[in-house]
This record gives sequence, C-alpha cells and structure tokens, in this order.
Amino acid sequence: MKISMQKLGRICLERKTSLSEVLVQSQVSRNALYSLARKDSVLPRSIDAIAAHLNVRVSDFLEEEDVLVAKSRLLLRMVNRIAEKHPGIDRDNIRHMFLLLEEKPVERLRRALVRAQKPDIR
Amino acid sequence: MPKNLIFDDKEVAFLRELKRQKVQFMIVGLSAAALQGAPVVTQDIDLWFKDLEDPNLRKVLKKVGGILVPSIGLNPPMLAGDAVKLFDIVVHMHGLGSFDEELRKAATVNLGGSRINVLPLSRIIKSKSVLGREKDRIVMKALRDALHIKQAMFIRRRQT
Repeated sequence: MKISMQKLGRICLERKTSLSEVLVQSQVSRNALYSLARKDSVLPRSIDAIAAHLNVRVSDFLEEEDVLVAKSRLLLRMVNRIAEKHPGIDRDNIRHMFLLLEEKPVERLRRALVRAQKPDIR
Repeated sequence: MPKNLIFDDKEVAFLRELKRQKVQFMIVGLSAAALQGAPVVTQDIDLWFKDLEDPNLRKVLKKVGGILVPSIGLNPPMLAGDAVKLFDIVVHMHGLGSFDEELRKAATVNLGGSRINVLPLSRIIKSKSVLGREKDRIVMKALRDALHIKQAMFIRRRQT
C-alpha cells in the first residue's frame, strides 16, 4: 500500500484546506510525508509478504482504528507536545483551544456566548 | 441557519453591513479572544469604533432596526434593537494605542463570509492587565495560555 499524493490533495481540496495546514494540525513534517510517499509500500515488508502468500489484499486482514479514537490520540499527542514545551500551561486550556480551532470562528463565538448564559438548573 | 441560536443571521448581517458601509471598527475583549480560539466565556460582543459619529454607522443601524443610545450620566453609549443587543460599545481601550495604531496590528477572522478585524490576543492581554479588574485577573490565565498555544502553533507552521 502506498500513499497517493493525488488522492491526498483531492481530499484537502474537498475539505477546503491545504496540505501545509493538514501537516501542521497533524504534527507531521513535510519531509516525513514525502519520505513515506516515495516508498513502494508504507507497510512493513512482512505484511506485504503475508498478503502476497495468501493472495489477498492487505486491507483484507488489517483493521482500521476507529476514527474518533485516532483523532483523540492525535489531539492528546498535540496537547502533550505543547505542555512539555510550556510546563505552566493548563492542559485543559490546550485541549479546549485545539477543539475550538477546529470550529469556524462564528461557532467559537457562539460557544463562548452560550456558556456565559445563566444555567437553567431544575 | 437554525432559529433560536445565540448570535445568528441578524448579528452576522449587522457586522457584514458595517463592513459594506466601510464603518471602521474592530471586535475587542473576550469575544475577540473567543473568535481566536481562546477557551473563554463572554456575555456580549465588544465593538470598538473609530468614530461613533460616523454617519454610515447610523445608516447601518437604521437598516438593521437598531439605534445608538448616547451616553447618559456615567453610562457609556449603547446599542439598542434586536439585531444589536448582543453588542456593547467600547469607547476607550486602556493601555493601548489609538484605534488606528491598533488597527494596523489587528488580526482578522471570517464571520459570515466577511473578514472582520479583531484585537489580537496579545493586545487583549495588555489591555486587561492595565485594567486590573478582578474579573479580568480571573481570565488572564486562559488568555495567556491561548497566546502561548497560538505562538507554539505558529512556530510549528514555520517549521513544516
């Protein structure tokens, strides 16, 4: 299985974002991506060998991690990275800010205004 | 857009019309911080106008069904009307330069398809640190963290 830069570019276009922005948000360097893209397979040779022997596609015996789980892991990695560089920063603030930056500005403002309203406690 | 949303079409239309009529303003305070991703809460949206006497401001208010209520006693001027009731007027920003000086350093955010000027996080922090109010001291940690996070992301972006 190899990386298709064309498919990646198309997805970025559909999401109205740039590859540069995606790399920043995923904390992946450009060098790392292009190095992987040059390989004939991004999987270990042993996995390709097993698939070839069984005459199946590797995707037939690979399971994808749940998207939400993968996203959460990535978010926590980013939180850890920033927290390590800035020990005084509140981790919750880092996490909330990353989540807010995924929203459009108008949504960020709505959340700030809604949270400031008096709670309806029954 | 769904109804009963706080900050919906009518508020966006007001800001868009201000831009269209070339009224010079920027969003300041915690609403500006929230727009830039800071995890804060706010009860209103603070607007800093270059000139409250700008006839185009009155034109915009008339179009959206709002009015400018002049300052009475110790009360600052305010906006009244359904489309503008979430907005507060800021007449002076403590600890900062003139409107034009701050506008040169302003950030912009996309609101409803229009690029709106907002006071950058660093300037919001500067202003609040000068004010020194209890409610500002409480929120300073979140604002400073937000600024550090943005700076860390900017450094990361430059390295990529």
